[in-house]
Amino acid sequence: MIVPPLYYIALSAVLFFIGIAGVLTRRNPLIMLMAIELMFNAANLALITFSRVWLNNVGHIFAFLVVTVAAAEAAIALAIVVVVFRQAPNVDVDQIAELKG
Amino acid sequence: MNGYAAQALDVIWLLPLLGALIAWTFGPRLRAAAGGICSAVVGLAFAGTLAELVFVSRWTGMHWGFHQSLVTWVPGFTLGLQLDPLSLIWSLIITGVGFLIHVYSIGYLAGDRSIARFFAYMNFFVFAMLTLVLSDNFVGLLVGWGLVGLASYFLIGYYIDRPSAVAAARKAFVINVFGDVGMMFAIVVVFALFGSVSYTDVFAVAHDLPSPVLALICLGLFTACAAKSAQVPLHTWLPDAMEGPTPVSALIHAATMVTAGVYLIARCAPLWSSSPEAQELVGVVGAITALCGALLGIVQWDIKRILAYSTMSQIGYMIMAVGVGAYDAGVLHFFTHAFFKALLFLAAGLIIHELANEQDIRKMGGLRKRMPLAFWAITSGVLAICGIPLFSGFYSKDAVIYGMLLHGHPILFAIGVLTAGLTAFYMFRMWFIVFFGSDRTEHGEETHASSWTMRIPVALLIGPTVVAGYLGIAGSASPWSRFLAPVFDGARPFEVSTPLNETAVSSLVLIFVACGILAAYLRYGSARATSRDTLRLMREAEGIPLFFRRAFYVDDFIRVLIVRPAQIFGAFLSRFIDPRFIDGLVHDVAWFAGVLGFEVRAMQNGQVRGYAFTLAVGVVAFIAYFTSLGGVR
Repeated sequence: MIVPPLYYIALSAVLFFIGIAGVLTRRNPLIMLMAIELMFNAANLALITFSRVWLNNVGHIFAFLVVTVAAAEAAIALAIVVVVFRQAPNVDVDQIAELKG
Repeated sequence: MNGYAAQALDVIWLLPLLGALIAWTFGPRLRAAAGGICSAVVGLAFAGTLAELVFVSRWTGMHWGFHQSLVTWVPGFTLGLQLDPLSLIWSLIITGVGFLIHVYSIGYLAGDRSIARFFAYMNFFVFAMLTLVLSDNFVGLLVGWGLVGLASYFLIGYYIDRPSAVAAARKAFVINVFGDVGMMFAIVVVFALFGSVSYTDVFAVAHDLPSPVLALICLGLFTACAAKSAQVPLHTWLPDAMEGPTPVSALIHAATMVTAGVYLIARCAPLWSSSPEAQELVGVVGAITALCGALLGIVQWDIKRILAYSTMSQIGYMIMAVGVGAYDAGVLHFFTHAFFKALLFLAAGLIIHELANEQDIRKMGGLRKRMPLAFWAITSGVLAICGIPLFSGFYSKDAVIYGMLLHGHPILFAIGVLTAGLTAFYMFRMWFIVFFGSDRTEHGEETHASSWTMRIPVALLIGPTVVAGYLGIAGSASPWSRFLAPVFDGARPFEVSTPLNETAVSSLVLIFVACGILAAYLRYGSARATSRDTLRLMREAEGIPLFFRRAFYVDDFIRVLIVRPAQIFGAFLSRFIDPRFIDGLVHDVAWFAGVLGFEVRAMQNGQVRGYAFTLAVGVVAFIAYFTSLGGVR
């Protein structure tokens, strides 16, 4: 059985909104990062789907690009999170406001 | 050869500007040396002008003169300089008399705190005046005209810590600008009609114009003349301008600037000669000015104000002459007047300097022995201005008065003769009061002996005061008329036959002059008059009717009719329009920005999740908008 593309798109949209909801509602930086990863991969899923629908490889290439950027982002963000955790456990992102102008 | 002469003209024109820039830039360091530098610069310009005179005097053609293009302004409009007999005469006076007055100023202002500033202004004035007379088009003329007004403003208000001087400077400037506007109007009309502003283009076709248009142009130009040359009713700034230092009065308010109006009318002779209405107007205004100046000269006690009113009166003569078409006579009177009036002012300056800035003739008296140079200088000046034979004024003034008759204006002729008598009366009144009678000076033996730089220019001016008029002997066959022929030949109006010949006119004028002198002698010079003269003069001063003391109420009229309404209007603007509309608009804009900022600031709370939410809402709205449009491409 062939799964119709609409299902993939719908799954992608659902994942994306779960990610947005996570970013907006959670205060723990680690959970927020995970939510952001979820949004990245929702986008990837949509890209791959469109690539299959249109029968060209542009979507694949973009998906690889997104994976690369996501990896770089995760590395930097995790480093920041680790530094912040060292200063104070149980961090709330709303209270990390030392750099506020 | 022609090329060299034309280039020399540039140099002559720019030299005084160079002097002014030097004095302005290095003024504080130069101090007294500025006087020497600036005088030398004007002296060089004079030498250059003399060289031009020698060069062009070998020319025999009828229409001589040359152009030097300076800049092409807009394609087709070239601004340049030109030298012809008329501008040459003016340049000679500006640089020549100007040089002597510069030298005189070195002594007169020695020790003044800001002497370099004074000389910068003086050089700037000479430059402005040269721009005015050397320009070959109306726009250059206007530029010079405006700069001259500015220089005059600077110099009248030279004593910046004296409120009356500042007020006088402002008054002179405002009245001059009024004239500038008239000239601008005329130039705009000229340009609209001819599509050109150069003299040659305009004068070539001037006589083809319908006469109302021509009269309109002349009226605009004459407004400028009246303002600059102190013609009734725009004369009120000239007596006040005596607040400036005495050399300034000599240079600007006697010898050169105030005669710019005479130059303008003489330059535009082709326009005037084709417009009888304009000629009539100018002649009448000139005559009224001559008469009013003489009448007001009688009741003054300030030596400089007497000379100021005499200047006004003499310029009235010149304007009257060039107005009715007696161009040679008018320009000759300018030429002689420049010498004798500069002499009178400089000699008066000697007296003022010696008596520690005393200008009231009631406090002079008996100075004949004490100041022989001033006595002889003023005597020759007075004889010249009264038109005594053998002195320069005789030839020029008689030519003017005879010209009235020759061009068919018997009433103006009568006013001219009467004014000549009045002139003799008030000039000799001053002469008797200052040099005869008892010594009424208050400062006793406290003297400021004048230096040689002041004495030599005065002595040098006595010569031309006597002989300058000889150029005009023999009327239209004189060297003067032949020299000016290229300028005026195309524009000479017809002459009418006169019931009196020139000798008879001269005799008539001399009779009036003799009566004036006799009256002045009986009232101020005779033995009976000079005894107890302090008391007599005091009583006379009290007896002058208010009508004369307030100078015919002209100032009051202007104050009531123009200055007060303008002030009220200005107060209205500043009280209501300005705060409500101009400032109000600015305040409203600022208020709106403030409110907007206050409201929007609430969104900037520094919480990243808040921003992310805004972003998400924005994206949703964006997508919703485009999907609801339904695939619009």
